[in-house]
Amino acid sequence: MGSLRDVLSPFTAWKHVIETPVTIKNPIGREAADRYRGFHQNDTDKCIGCGSCEDICQNAAIDMIPVDNPKDGDSGLRPQIDYGRCCWCALCVDVCMTGSLTMSNEYTWVDSDPDAFRFIPGVDKMPWDDFEKGYERQGDRMLSGLTRPEMAELEPEARIGNFDEIVAGYSREQAVLEADRCVECGLCVATCPAHMDIPDYIAAIREGDYDLGTQILYETNPFSEVCGRVCTHKCETVCAAQYEGEPIAIRWLKRHIIDNVSEERRLEIVGTPQVLPTGQKVAVVGAGPAGLTAAYDLARSGHAVTVFEAQDKPGGMMRYGIPEYRLPYDALDRDIAVIKAQGVEIKTGTRIGTDITLDQLKADYDATVLSIGLHLGRSTRVPGSDAPGVEAAIDLLRRITAGEEVPVPKKVAVIGGGNVAMDIARSMARLQKQKFGEVGVTVTALEDFDHFLADKEEVTESFEEGIEILDARGPQEIVTFKSGKRKGHVKGLRTWKVTSIFDEQGRFTPQYDEGDEMVHEVEMVVEAIGQMADISLLGDELTEALEWNRGRIAVDADGHTSEPWLWGGGDAVHGPDVIHAVADGHKIAASVNVALMAKAEAEK
Amino acid sequence: MRDLIEKLTPRYTLGNATYQRADLTFVDVTRDELRALLLELRDKEGFTHLVLLTAVDWIEEGKFQLTYMINNREADQTLGLRLYIDRNDAEGDTIHDIWPTAATYQRELREMFGIAFPGSPRVDEEFILEGWTDMPPYRRDFDTLAYSQQTYVEREGRETHDPRATMKHKMYPEG
Repeated sequence: MGSLRDVLSPFTAWKHVIETPVTIKNPIGREAADRYRGFHQNDTDKCIGCGSCEDICQNAAIDMIPVDNPKDGDSGLRPQIDYGRCCWCALCVDVCMTGSLTMSNEYTWVDSDPDAFRFIPGVDKMPWDDFEKGYERQGDRMLSGLTRPEMAELEPEARIGNFDEIVAGYSREQAVLEADRCVECGLCVATCPAHMDIPDYIAAIREGDYDLGTQILYETNPFSEVCGRVCTHKCETVCAAQYEGEPIAIRWLKRHIIDNVSEERRLEIVGTPQVLPTGQKVAVVGAGPAGLTAAYDLARSGHAVTVFEAQDKPGGMMRYGIPEYRLPYDALDRDIAVIKAQGVEIKTGTRIGTDITLDQLKADYDATVLSIGLHLGRSTRVPGSDAPGVEAAIDLLRRITAGEEVPVPKKVAVIGGGNVAMDIARSMARLQKQKFGEVGVTVTALEDFDHFLADKEEVTESFEEGIEILDARGPQEIVTFKSGKRKGHVKGLRTWKVTSIFDEQGRFTPQYDEGDEMVHEVEMVVEAIGQMADISLLGDELTEALEWNRGRIAVDADGHTSEPWLWGGGDAVHGPDVIHAVADGHKIAASVNVALMAKAEAEK
Repeated sequence: MRDLIEKLTPRYTLGNATYQRADLTFVDVTRDELRALLLELRDKEGFTHLVLLTAVDWIEEGKFQLTYMINNREADQTLGLRLYIDRNDAEGDTIHDIWPTAATYQRELREMFGIAFPGSPRVDEEFILEGWTDMPPYRRDFDTLAYSQQTYVEREGRETHDPRATMKHKMYPEG
């Protein structure tokens, strides 16, 4: 028999009958916590289709589905999620390189069709697409680092008096740290003109396998010493790592591989042509990146290749345009040594039109490749631009490399805002420092700093070296001495402030504020406003016969000109860029190969 | 907390003290001193509550780290004792007689990391994994993705595309 309390206590529960219950009758429709990990959302404009979400998913719940055509830096793929497998761990959100992938706090959804639970967030419209609440990564990306290791460089005081290489290259520790930041999406491969297998060679660094790295580099580019230093690295502009941090230092990683493989080892890895000689002969005009890449490929296909080069040494613009402090000559020589080892003969000091004619090449060789570069400087044609003391940047750079004596006055003005302008400004600054102990270079560029043409680091380093850069200034006249001993010689450069460069149709028509005039007192003016090809070597007959495209030799997608025996590529055809020239070289070699095979077949 | 660590140091082998926050400290301890240290901290220093017992897999060093988090409510202080054991011979000493709740944590560690705690009640019974036959899943050499692919059926009609190959195919088909 229990106590009285046992009998009465059930009735005391009645006192709660009018209180609100803490349980919920129908849990469907109840809102989850603010940071609940529910169904995914994807900002498809922000998403670049890199597939990192798919790679990290530990349940294989994500597929990449094409929803648009690929373009630079965007594969056009978007993640589709199979909620039959998703465990809602949110690793995909944490790894997302752009921050486009998030999760709403919606977690209830009823449907009798199992396939309904597989959809592409952001593309297949869902009721929770615009929910504010849910899970998103707090702060910056954490699973892959945000910043590059800092590159060791010569300090301005240590470098301004000489032409020593500025950039030191990464150490093994730095390179591994940087390689670890790469998610291996491969979006960069399409953007690289030569389609280098970037994620693969970065993986080789991580593994410490530099032989494999070298092999991968050589599959698409015989100029890794050069491109590891001076490539325009368009790949880095589409890198998935750039959206919340710095893009991977792809260029420096390439250099790191080649820094770690000796010249002898490189020759062992690359080897020599492994095919029987075809007995066919190819002439290449110009030993720059396009010509030598074509020569490399063609020699490895068994053809006898002769390269004709007007200068005393091979390399073209890589040697005679790019200053030594950016690309040391011995680095270039190491790249060229591997190409020569393929049996390529390089005849230097042989100028077409003077020492041998194109007609002779046409007669003596089975195919001819024209890769003559852009070696003539353009002139501003402002009054006074033909006065003594006015120089073309490209010509001056060549003379400095060739070891010729160049005039070095105390005050120099450079017209132009591209990388060539920076190259000559910094070269002249070094010569001035050696001669006078101080720098006196003024660069005047049409563009303002927000629209500058030269690379940012070039501008920064120029400033560090004491070079004056005046943006948005247009040349009006090169002032000359009107009398005296130096009559006719350069006295200064007169510029006006630029108010706009292009008109509404996008045509080049600079407008000036004439009230803002400056006269820069200098003894030398260097014009660095662009280059053109020296097409006089073609001769009248061939010039007449060839098809042209806006002043450049017209070629088809394979680099074939309108003349069946002649191919063309590189800067002279596609504008200045080393890696583009390398890509041209490969294309031309492939096309020449096909043509020569057909020719051999026909002659059987 | 520095005072407490200094006070204990002459009698115990304590290492690597980390003063993470004003109310949170970590310190390395040795296996032979663990029991004595826990008892002293519980009975003399006011650390009456076992917050949790968990493990970290330091696979590269061949060690498991056991972390005993204990709390002094009065002083609002939490102390984490880190104890390293051999990963190849993963065995800890049960402390269920000091804190009964430890038995549950030890059962979980047995299942998820494969760390044995001889003498701990029901330690070899299944905890949350039913019918598990694979390697303990919190060990870092457990391949979650491979397990999920082998264990769960792929729903029909699934197909994925590699970003790099897609771009190659569409943007530079010539190679």
